[in-house]
Amino acid sequence: MNEQVALKKETQAENNKDFEIRDYLRLDLFPHFMCPGCGHGIALRALLWAIHEQGIDKDKLAIVSGIGCSGRVGTYIDANTFHTTHGRPLAFATGLKMARPDLHVIVITGDGDCLAIGGNHLIHAARRNLDITCLMLNNEIYGMTGGQVSPTTPHDRFTTTTPAGNMEPVFDASRLAEAAGAGFVGRELTIHLPRLRDLISEGLEYKGFSFIEVMSDCTEVNGRKNDLGSSPEMVLGQTRTMRPSEYDNNVVDHPFRPNSMDMGVFVRSDRPEYGESYRNMVDQLQGLTQKGQK
Amino acid sequence: MAKVKKTDNSVMAVLADPPKLDPKETKEPINVLIVGVGGQGVIMVSKVLALICQNLGYEVKQSEVHGMAKRGGVVFSHVRFGSNVWSPTIPMGKADVLIALEWAEGLRWMSYLRPGTGIFIADTKRIVPPFACRSRILGADIGYSKDTPDDVREKVAEAFALDATEMATRAGNERAANTLLLGALSTTLTFPTEEWKKVIAQMVPPKTVDVNLAVFDQGQNWIDGSRKGEPVEGAAFVPLVQPELNSVRNTLEITAEWCKGCDICVKMCPERCLVLNKDQVAELAEPEKCTGCHICEWLCPDFAISLNPITQEAVA
Ligand SMILES: Cc1ncc(C[n+]2csc(CCOP(=O)(O)OP(=O)(O)O)c2C)c(N)n1
Ligand code: SF4
Ligand code: SF4
Ligand code: SF4
Ligand SMILES: [Mg+2]
Repeated sequence: MNEQVALKKETQAENNKDFEIRDYLRLDLFPHFMCPGCGHGIALRALLWAIHEQGIDKDKLAIVSGIGCSGRVGTYIDANTFHTTHGRPLAFATGLKMARPDLHVIVITGDGDCLAIGGNHLIHAARRNLDITCLMLNNEIYGMTGGQVSPTTPHDRFTTTTPAGNMEPVFDASRLAEAAGAGFVGRELTIHLPRLRDLISEGLEYKGFSFIEVMSDCTEVNGRKNDLGSSPEMVLGQTRTMRPSEYDNNVVDHPFRPNSMDMGVFVRSDRPEYGESYRNMVDQLQGLTQKGQK
Repeated sequence: MAKVKKTDNSVMAVLADPPKLDPKETKEPINVLIVGVGGQGVIMVSKVLALICQNLGYEVKQSEVHGMAKRGGVVFSHVRFGSNVWSPTIPMGKADVLIALEWAEGLRWMSYLRPGTGIFIADTKRIVPPFACRSRILGADIGYSKDTPDDVREKVAEAFALDATEMATRAGNERAANTLLLGALSTTLTFPTEEWKKVIAQMVPPKTVDVNLAVFDQGQNWIDGSRKGEPVEGAAFVPLVQPELNSVRNTLEITAEWCKGCDICVKMCPERCLVLNKDQVAELAEPEKCTGCHICEWLCPDFAISLNPITQEAVA
């Protein structure tokens, strides 16, 4: 087993060497639409790199994305892409994966898309544990529509809908996915690009629902409204403002935000994968196999 | 005392009649300075020596400093023994023996040796600290001493440079290098060998007693043999290997049409070799400084930078 793992790591490292991001992009759409310094671009690199590392064939890759700047990210990938409706990429992806279990289905969604309008889809996708990789780009705001408050906007932040500062408590998205039953859950910052790539890579490998929360920067709306600094300052500031626990940022005790956030893999369980259970049941009902037999 | 010089690469200068340091013969204490870097076992060497002195009824004082020892920083320990010892630290120029577990540390403390009689015994093991590599360019000069045993020979009375780490590794345990040096140290003093071995057996982990005692003998034989002019088995001093300067040239391609001037690459580049030009587009201003670290490429949200390391042969 260990030898297998070592061999795999070696192959991945070998794969990494010839990663050329332009092989995975729809070059005719470039430059992309995102604002200068937007963290979603860095997240996209991490995703494509992880896909390359896993050696996934572009024809076997299905990217399903929702609405938002995060949703637009998916359209730049040179693979089968599906730009769906606001909040519903997980629902579309569920149907797709059930019909075409041979595809690698990846969902790209945002904090607004995934937790506000699409919150219900998230908890049920997590509960079923269908083999989908869900990448939630958390920039703590509705970026595309000009900066409204989202379920992850920290306390006191200014947005167009919280002109006096946000007073709502927040969701900790990873904990939410974990509580709902996701088989694999992890979180990482975009500034930790190689670590983010590894996390996504692990999520892609996992058979079941993998929820990956990417802490991203919305430089243009969130950054400007809240005086978070220039693009480089925001990227560098992630280790401080996003309070990863490893940097010991447990500053003030605040009921309105996960006070210090941990990064890395939180859940890696061996719960049954929904698609497989489903196909087993179909086989049983058709009399192909007996109950309890695979 | 006549000084015999050998031209052997790993040895050193040998005194024709080397002194045997006997605390009974002198009123002043005998001073042994042990130096190295964190994790090498400097303190173990000094504890063994101090314990033997105590067992033999001498007064002994030991003092030590660990500078960032866990991160490979400097560690040194002074051991002074005799009929009467007042101060725990050895004054400069008064050390009778200098035992260095790391080559550059040995060079650093050489001035503590007694001129004319001081004995220098150093492992040629080199641990290059990160801060010796100030420039991150591949092939850039390493700020680590370039001195070889040849250079040392001129400066001290008696000098031995042996690759104790390599010898201990061959004997089965790299970590026993410090015991090998204890064997070397024992040849300069009058204490009986059994006494050394008894204390070493007490101090090292039970499973490693055999290998430690074996390398102790090796250390003793190495010095004794060298003094007699016999060929001793050791490893030759290999100068630091440095990759050729600029053996890798990085070509940084910037797609100007894709760059949005966000400044991330400029501010994040550790070598500060990128700038935004008058059109607010990133430009490689000082290509010779680029180390090819990939940070700009990885953090550019617009995929405007791609880095292609090309080896010099490929260029030619
Ligand atoms: C049904 C519906 N309601 C509202 C909208 C408007 N809308 C578009 S994007 C968006 C929010 C996106 O925020 P998020 O998911 O965080 O993505 P980001 O832009 O921050 O990456 C909203 C509310 C819509 N397109 N469709
Ligand atoms: S609005 Fe925010 S999230 Fe959207 S592209 Fe601009 S910076 Fe990125
Ligand atoms: S690769 Fe980029 S970030 Fe690294 S030194 Fe070169 S220009 Fe700077
Ligand atoms: S990080 Fe990319 S987009 Fe930003 S200034 Fe540098 S090259 Fe241009
Ligand atoms: Mg958002």
